[in-house]
Amino acid sequence: MQIVEDKVGEVLVIAPVGRVDSVSSAELERVVVSRIDAGGRRLVLDLTGVEYISSAGLRVLLMAAKRLKAPPAALVLCGLGPSVRTVLELAGFLPLFTVEAGREQALARVGGTAA
Amino acid sequence: MGGGGPGYHSRASLARREHRLSQPETRRLSVPGTDQGIATALDALAEMVAAHGLSKAVSWPVEVSLDEVLANVVRHGLEGREGGSVEIELTLDTGVVPPFCRVVVADDGPEFDPLSAPEPDTSLGVEDRPIGGLGISLVRRLMDEIAYERRDGRNRLRFERRLVAVEA
Repeated sequence: MQIVEDKVGEVLVIAPVGRVDSVSSAELERVVVSRIDAGGRRLVLDLTGVEYISSAGLRVLLMAAKRLKAPPAALVLCGLGPSVRTVLELAGFLPLFTVEAGREQALARVGGTAA
Repeated sequence: MGGGGPGYHSRASLARREHRLSQPETRRLSVPGTDQGIATALDALAEMVAAHGLSKAVSWPVEVSLDEVLANVVRHGLEGREGGSVEIELTLDTGVVPPFCRVVVADDGPEFDPLSAPEPDTSLGVEDRPIGGLGISLVRRLMDEIAYERRDGRNRLRFERRLVAVEA
């Protein structure tokens, strides 16, 4: 797994690429936690390049959602392929997250100064 | 009947072979009970799937399941033990339609049946959502069949799936 990061205005976009499994999810957690600890409050997780995600990756998503729960903080997921969407659905995670189709919609939804 | 029996059988088995596109392939590997071991096993499955020309679109449920099962074994079964190892058997049959994949994971950790764990409550909100048990719950939902047995002092979990797209 690789992690590609972009900053659009005040919004941080984190895009893991490859498989988010029980081994690689530790690296994703490290990056997400450090960005939130550094003051990141509006986060887009772009999952377009994710081959598949297992429960260890779901744990990271849940952790990010807990930390960014109170407005004006916001977390939006986008780019869910069939495998990611299926796992989130089977785990009952879809109702817990704001999900948009693509990155542009996610940036619009997460708000901030990015227009 | 004379030699009629054997002749009939050999014609029948020849016919079975002719109807198959290819023979099932089985790979066995032994990996250490570590993160590196998990990565090695996931790589081996991905490589096998690719070598048979199968798409990730149908193989990912087995890959996710292997990750969940190995994470369970490594983190809970073999935790803190020096030299713990896990035996994995990967079988892929692309001679049938749809293709079929079976995985067997065996370890010599303490007796533990992951199928005995209660299903997590997936109706709770963000704050209360439990994460334990989620992995095996996913495996149950993604696989056609899953079975545990304790045999010869080893935990042995078998899971299998016909490789078709998942209907969630």
